[in-house]
Amino acid sequence: MVNIENRSSEYALELQEINKVYEGPPIVKALSDVSLTVNHGELLGIIGSSGSGKTTLLHIMGTLSTPSSGSISIDGTNVVGMSDKQLSGVRSRKIGFVFQEFFLLPGFSALENVANGLLYSGIPSEERMERAFEMLRTVGLGERGDHLPNELSGGEQQRVAVARALVHKPSFVLADEPTGNLDSENTASLMALLTTLNEGGTTVILITHDLEVAKSAQRRITLRDGRVDSDLSR
Amino acid sequence: MGLLDILSVGSSGLRTRRVRAALSVLGITIGVAALVGILGLSQSGSADLMKDLDALGTNLLTVQAGDGFRSQQASLSSDAAAMINRITPVYEVSATTKIAGGVFLNDLIQDGRTKGITIVAADLNLLRTQRGSLKSGKFLDEMTSEYPFVVLGSVAAERLGIRNTSGNHKIWLKEKWFMVIGILEPLPLAADLDRSAIIGYPAAEKFLEIDEPPEIIYVRAYPEHIRDVRSIMAATVSPENPEEVQVGRASDVLEARIAASDAFLNLFIGLGAVALLVGTIGIANVMVIAVIERRNEIGLRRALGATKFHIASQFLTESLLLSTLGGITGVIMGMLVTAGYAVFREWSIVIPVYAISGGILCSILIGGIAGFYPAMRAANVSPTEALRTR
Ligand SMILES: Nc1ncnc2c1ncn2[C@@H]1O[C@H](COP(=O)(O)OP(=O)(O)OP(=O)(O)O)[C@@H](O)[C@H]1O
Ligand SMILES: [Mg+2]
Repeated sequence: MVNIENRSSEYALELQEINKVYEGPPIVKALSDVSLTVNHGELLGIIGSSGSGKTTLLHIMGTLSTPSSGSISIDGTNVVGMSDKQLSGVRSRKIGFVFQEFFLLPGFSALENVANGLLYSGIPSEERMERAFEMLRTVGLGERGDHLPNELSGGEQQRVAVARALVHKPSFVLADEPTGNLDSENTASLMALLTTLNEGGTTVILITHDLEVAKSAQRRITLRDGRVDSDLSR
Repeated sequence: MGLLDILSVGSSGLRTRRVRAALSVLGITIGVAALVGILGLSQSGSADLMKDLDALGTNLLTVQAGDGFRSQQASLSSDAAAMINRITPVYEVSATTKIAGGVFLNDLIQDGRTKGITIVAADLNLLRTQRGSLKSGKFLDEMTSEYPFVVLGSVAAERLGIRNTSGNHKIWLKEKWFMVIGILEPLPLAADLDRSAIIGYPAAEKFLEIDEPPEIIYVRAYPEHIRDVRSIMAATVSPENPEEVQVGRASDVLEARIAASDAFLNLFIGLGAVALLVGTIGIANVMVIAVIERRNEIGLRRALGATKFHIASQFLTESLLLSTLGGITGVIMGMLVTAGYAVFREWSIVIPVYAISGGILCSILIGGIAGFYPAMRAANVSPTEALRTR
């Protein structure tokens, strides 16, 4: 008997034969037969040149878009065919996003921005704030909770965004070029943060075309023209 | 998400763009203010008119000689009042006669400027017929009508600068001294009398040597018979030349004023409605722009787990907050204008509850209408599309 309660026997994420076609014109085949599995606690780097399908793959992994064919399971649950509302629920509980552009909301303090990560999960406001404060401390910005995004440096803003992505304790974090808007110093410190978080048990899927950044990952998948070109672990 | 969360998320766009929010709300504010103000003012105004009309009655007829076919100005016969009195449903008849001559404060300044005050000889029941009241002193009675005593209409007293009767003021009336014993409140049914100095018929005869037939006769009849009385009046007064007798209903003037103010009201309700329409379009426009500008925010919220419903309710809330804000400021402005104007006109302040609740409800409705399409549009943006930067 398989114990379905036992999470460790499941993958955090499992993709099978994913295809994605953008029905043009022109028709673009962005992903072809992508199959991969991600274990809990992994730090996975997905690399590839521009246009190779990295963002498309990340959006499918994050249930923000649906594949043309293939199946996706998150923590053992197949999400293909779920309604928009159900997918939203999956995102609010299971997935954290970090974007290249940070996407902090300008009218909200750093603390509120982190708490927004819990806004759609049905948790009461007070607990959201407490957990947001904890998370902000974890990323080293405990003192900056009251600051507005435009009062923070780019590196700090991205740390706030990381805190927001982690505050609901997701199954995995999807980071699309998180260092793309940072200088080398801030890139290094953000990667150090992600590595530390990963060592603490967080599953991180990191998309980048920067090979230097990808070096932090134990496992690297290379995409080429929408196909998995290589899948290497250290 | 609780109500507080919905309000907080829905107001976030407004908090970061205050000036735009304030400007976009102006149309609604002006429209609602106009409606509340107009409803309030017309209520305050026509409330007073209606009150007047109720108190004064619609059963007062005025009978006077009109232009006859004869070239001369016709006049009523001296027994006209007595003849009218014989009509059964008539219960009060009061005759008045205009007397040529000036009215002055003293006998020294007589430069021909009469201050526009006319001398009127009147029956003693004139005040009762008009349902008028006194500001000061007494009206003429059996005794005072025999002597050089005068009662001033409200405007006449004002023009002469006489505020009350305690000073035993004497006025120079057609070259004779008359003592002011009473000052009238305005008589809405006979505004002419407000500008007159009223003396008794006996005094007119004795001191001014005037004995002329009545010019205007005021007639009160039982309201249910007022039409009948009116229709036989001319023939009663002048059986030979009924067409020379003009019969009018004193309250018609007031009713015309009410009708005019109603027409005015409708016009302004129309203008207010146009302002609201423009306001609706303004808010819809601002909301469409907000949805376009905040695509990334929509994408982010979808990534954080917001459903389409969450996104739609966020923008709908924003639109409702905008329009309600406009509605509330509009109601307040409209109330202030009404109160200010009513105080200025010495009206009673009446701001109907339906104007206030209607103004707010209207603005909420507008918010819903203006926000619906933008909210739907925001909800249906695909998350990946919304997250794209350009
Ligand atoms: N909405 C879309 N409609 C049509 N084609 C699209 C769409 N989104 C992406 N594509 C195409 O799919 C391919 C993969 O795009 P994707 O954005 O996934 O690349 P990427 O690896 O993230 O590139 P980059 O490193 O520049 O971000 C590209 O050829 C792109 O032009
Ligand atoms: Mg990309």
